[in-house]
Amino acid sequence: MINRQLIFILIALSVAVPLVIRLGLPNYVTSEVMQVYEEIDQLDSDSVVMISFDHEASSLPEVKPMAVAILRHCFSKNLKVIGFALLAEGTAIGDQILREVAAEHNKVYGKDYVFLGFRPQYQAAILGMGEDIKRVFPQDYKNISLDQIPMMEGIKNYQDISLIISVADGDMPAYWVDYAVSRYHKKVSAAVTAVMATSFYPFLASGQIVGLLGGLKGAAEYEILIEKPGIGQRGMDAQSVSHLMIILLVILGNMGYFLRRRFTG
Amino acid sequence: MQRAIPITVCFVFGFFMLLQFFVPHKLSVLAYENVLDWMQIIFVFTLLVGAASYIRLNTKKVVQTQAGWGYNLVALAGLSLMVILGFWKGTGENTPFLWMFNNLQAPMQATMFSLLAFFVASAAYRGFRARSWEATLLLLTATVVMLGRVPLGNLISHWVPDTANWILSVPSMAAKRGLYIGIGLGTISTSLRIILGIERTYLGRR
Amino acid sequence: MQIGTLIAAFLTLCIFSFLYKDNPFYKFAEHLLVGMSVGYILVIAFNTTVTPKLINPIFQEGKIVYIIPGILGLFMFARFLPKYVWLSRISIALIIGAGAGVAIPATIQAKILAQMQATMIDFATVDGIIIFVAVATTLAYFFFSKEHKGWFGATARVGTWFLMIFFGATFGYTIMSRISLLIGRMQFLLGDFLHVIK
Repeated sequence: MINRQLIFILIALSVAVPLVIRLGLPNYVTSEVMQVYEEIDQLDSDSVVMISFDHEASSLPEVKPMAVAILRHCFSKNLKVIGFALLAEGTAIGDQILREVAAEHNKVYGKDYVFLGFRPQYQAAILGMGEDIKRVFPQDYKNISLDQIPMMEGIKNYQDISLIISVADGDMPAYWVDYAVSRYHKKVSAAVTAVMATSFYPFLASGQIVGLLGGLKGAAEYEILIEKPGIGQRGMDAQSVSHLMIILLVILGNMGYFLRRRFTG
Repeated sequence: MQRAIPITVCFVFGFFMLLQFFVPHKLSVLAYENVLDWMQIIFVFTLLVGAASYIRLNTKKVVQTQAGWGYNLVALAGLSLMVILGFWKGTGENTPFLWMFNNLQAPMQATMFSLLAFFVASAAYRGFRARSWEATLLLLTATVVMLGRVPLGNLISHWVPDTANWILSVPSMAAKRGLYIGIGLGTISTSLRIILGIERTYLGRR
Repeated sequence: MQIGTLIAAFLTLCIFSFLYKDNPFYKFAEHLLVGMSVGYILVIAFNTTVTPKLINPIFQEGKIVYIIPGILGLFMFARFLPKYVWLSRISIALIIGAGAGVAIPATIQAKILAQMQATMIDFATVDGIIIFVAVATTLAYFFFSKEHKGWFGATARVGTWFLMIFFGATFGYTIMSRISLLIGRMQFLLGDFLHVIK
């Protein structure tokens, strides 16, 4: 048996070494990521996109690259962005990511984008925005009344929104499907941590969500599409080597198991 | 009365929200929007109650100098600092609250979850055995998906990512769909039981 | 180097020290994290919800009706008073009841009808047939009103194979997810902290 600490060292090295010595393995784009890209790309400028930061800080290394890549695409297409969070820690993260990416594209707060803050009770928040966004969020994260924000003029509910994107580390996109897609027939895309990705393929196949980004790999694919290499692509070498390391460990474990079984009966 | 009131409230609000879906009248929409508002307001108090309970528990341990009370003091200090900074200087751009979140809370939380990378690798080595046909199927699928979703898989052969994509969008997707349909049926029956007052576990034992 | 990066690196290493064994550095970071998270939620919940959704409507806009959810919210604190704990159940009943009410039509549409519809189409392809068989057999596995014997037992067994494929795929993705989180922390330690990578 390999010592537990040795396994930990092997995993640490398989992640660290490829980050220092780049292998430059070529990545490829999957159809589900392409769907999100195409959906955003075909929107007219000034269309409004909603981004819901439905995650905690624990998944930051996965969700931030996805959110950054999507926002870069949105702002480069001159789309208007409304950000908010349905989980508390997504508030500070969403606010910062929006500000950072907006600054890269010289976008102005209140004119090109807004951040509305946090709202608990996802069912009520999602359903409420289908009727009246200003009722759910009377003011933004800076405590400015939505009536005083120029970008929010003429935006009442989902009818004025072109696409909703849930950046999540849990099953929040499923609730977006339950309440925003089913009741208000709104287009929803999902950018979720890899651990959650397999849960959303049924919604993808049934057309209830438009496209899916799954974790750091999804971010890396999106970075290829927008031709802006970022954290996602930089991490793919380490991802490949560490996966290989775990597969080798599983093979070794099974070899030991079968040899033991053969010799001890 | 102590049980009758909550059961009645549950029935009235549950039945109204269900009925409202089929009756989109102006008045019903107005009441519906109010109920949605109320849900958000009441729910936020559950978060506050959770925080109050955490403060109470830690304070008790510190006051009674129970084993490890120093750590409880650290927890209370962290909590107090965030609350003071948040209410005093705000939570937005360039605030000490956000600085604390970025440099203390977020790195610690992300690291806590990254520990799982080591444990999941160790668990895979020790427990991932092809003991039966089902276990072999699970092991093979995991291996193909792990290889197929990273650039390395594509480098080996385009069949690796193609197979991984097929697994995800056909058999794996279909099994999850079966689970969703089951969950859906379960959700409906449980919701009906709650509204009709048959399911009362949320009321507690007494 | 910025003080924030130094602190973040120290706390990151405190938590990684758990890989060796449980120790005071880890316990310190663990308790600090939980305390700060609770403090964070308290501030965000109050600033972004209690103030704009409850205090402002009552005291600035004079919407007296908001006193009702305010009182129901305060009832939640009755959980600390054993004699009045039943009051908190009224508030819980409202959220659970209303939540159950909106969940029924949404679930029928999103999780049952739409998913069944997507399963019924495309019988002309092999994949379409596999999907139908997988959905039907998975559902059979979770049907416990009939004993899993004979032809029904065999059907349910096929369902477990598809479930194993789903669990395998999810396990593969779980490893991917956890490694991604580790990559994020390594990028911080080797990049922002040690400047080994750019």
